[in-house]
Amino acid sequence: MTRTISTLAAALLMSTAAYAADPGVSDTEIKIGDVNIMTGPAAFVGKGVALGSKIAAAEINAAGGVNGRKITVITEDDGYIPARSFQALTKLIEVDGIFALNGTSGTANVLAMMPLIEENNLPTVVTTAPAELVYKPVRPSVFTFGAKYADAFYAQLKHISSKPESKDAVYGLIRQADDFGKEIEAGYERAVKDFGLKDGIRLRFKKGTSNFSAEVAQMQQAGVTVIVNGGIFAGAANILAEARKLGMDIQSAGVWSEGIPASAALSAPAGYDFMVADYVALTGESTDRFKAMAKQYVSEEELAGISRYTYVTYIGLKTLAHAMGQCGQELTRACTIEKLKALKDFDTGGLSAPVSFDNENQLSGTAVAVYQYDTKAGAFQERTGFEQY
Amino acid sequence: MDFLLLLVSTGLVSGAAYGLIAMGFALVYKSTGVVNFAQGELVMLTAYIAFSLSNTFHLSFFPLILVTIPVSMLIGLTLERIFIRPMLGEPVFAIVMVTVGLAVILRGVTIMIWGSEPFNFTAGLSNDVIQVAGVPFYPAQLYLIGALAVVSLLAWLFLRFTRMGIAMRAVAANETAALLVGVSVSRIHAFAWMLSAGIAAIAGILFAANFKLVPDLWFQGLKSFPAVILGGMDSVIGAAVGGLAIGVIENLAQGYVGQGLREISGFVVIIIVLMVRPYGLFGNREIERV
Repeated sequence: MTRTISTLAAALLMSTAAYAADPGVSDTEIKIGDVNIMTGPAAFVGKGVALGSKIAAAEINAAGGVNGRKITVITEDDGYIPARSFQALTKLIEVDGIFALNGTSGTANVLAMMPLIEENNLPTVVTTAPAELVYKPVRPSVFTFGAKYADAFYAQLKHISSKPESKDAVYGLIRQADDFGKEIEAGYERAVKDFGLKDGIRLRFKKGTSNFSAEVAQMQQAGVTVIVNGGIFAGAANILAEARKLGMDIQSAGVWSEGIPASAALSAPAGYDFMVADYVALTGESTDRFKAMAKQYVSEEELAGISRYTYVTYIGLKTLAHAMGQCGQELTRACTIEKLKALKDFDTGGLSAPVSFDNENQLSGTAVAVYQYDTKAGAFQERTGFEQY
Repeated sequence: MDFLLLLVSTGLVSGAAYGLIAMGFALVYKSTGVVNFAQGELVMLTAYIAFSLSNTFHLSFFPLILVTIPVSMLIGLTLERIFIRPMLGEPVFAIVMVTVGLAVILRGVTIMIWGSEPFNFTAGLSNDVIQVAGVPFYPAQLYLIGALAVVSLLAWLFLRFTRMGIAMRAVAANETAALLVGVSVSRIHAFAWMLSAGIAAIAGILFAANFKLVPDLWFQGLKSFPAVILGGMDSVIGAAVGGLAIGVIENLAQGYVGQGLREISGFVVIIIVLMVRPYGLFGNREIERV
């Protein structure tokens, strides 16, 4: 009897030993953390992001989970405040005992969480903050998905300059006076040099500005015909509205945040068929397929809230699940990180270019596609496929 | 089209928004001696209420204004009764802190009800461009300037000629003396909050119609604060003039100097003005006899 109990105890210990050191994994469940913007003015972005994890988890679980283990996503709100991101991740690690992290909020937020991520060797896929500060220097457990803003603007300017609506096109840049704006200007600068564009004017504005009348008047005076619009959400729309008021005949290149339905609806009344470039698809068969699949797992209201931010975290969790799946029953963080490092050409069903983290920066999704918003049809049209710039 | 004219005209538009918001600040300060840090949030809340009213009842601009103003005044009265009235007699600093807390509550409640998504809100106004003396305007921009003129005139008439307006000025000049002659100070305070919320509704609707309805609209309250300082904290009309001045100065600074000077130009002017007139352009000098 004693021998039987000892044998059973040994067997039990052996079966759990492999993942006893790594929290968040049981025989039936894998806990994935999601630090996200669920409150405050940017919550509508965060809700789209959280939806991506939810859909991915539901799809994976419906297909039997990761080697029989169901994925549970635990979302914590950070309100887009870096200090709160740190607190949220602390809670996810110490109280919920997560195994890996998918949602990571904005750039400053993920940087605030980085000490915890490194200390816990937490497999992390960053999908909403593909900034150089996140992937350089390389942190072994951090994998970044997404392109640079600089490349997104370079791609749009390459497309516009290859088919200019005006022979004497004059380009003008308006961007936020911060690091985000600097990155846009880097793409603009590169395009001006590479394509010999006529650089009419470069303007900066403080985040939160709503009145762009003086800036757009300056652009008109400089003879700008292509506005490189670094405004986001209402800011981008207000810039275009001012241009329309002044009767400017322009083409416009914008930030990928303008690809979400709420932003596009704000800019549409200005009547310009503005462009955006993105590392995830905004239209086409892949997004149609995604929505048809998502319909099974989310409400009608949530379905209407699907945006590019949903696709990025969906891809993030799918890559993470793929890596975890390759580890078999003995799932550990070390194994997951190793498999993510080796990930090559992971198919996202056309939602992005195939994902590969087998490079020195553990960075993927750097290829961008250019889209143009058809204001009459109220939909984006693809102008180029995913390309590296 | 003349560049200067364009900068001045659009500066008047943003200045009119500053002016209307600043008038709400000045009205409460004049009557209660309290800076209401929730004024920007009142502007935001009333704009969202107007948005819902507009969507529900499909109201055009004037009916929308006529419906929203009383609703907003009721909200102003309710807030005063719940948050400010119990603080009567407490130090001014404590009351100001209550308005700070109120601001946070209103922000949270607004996002809780309407969400954080930005909206297009035309307020029933057309989106067609109108030329006035060769300068292009959206109708909402002209309405904004017009609203400031009308509200300023009404405020002047009210404070100058009506019994309630004179009582308000009496409370502002000397609260104890006003009490002694039978003025109900608490009623005046409540009325100031109501009027201020009514003005906030006009400001909110027209600001959102011009610059979209967004959950950080409350921030315009802080941006309008320099206008009150410039005009004089206790001068309702001064706040309106201060708003216009700040709007035009900001636009000229951006247009001719640029690169972020817009943000500091208003404050530079305020510092200069306050060095010469510490009570603002139209504020009353306080004289203390020792």
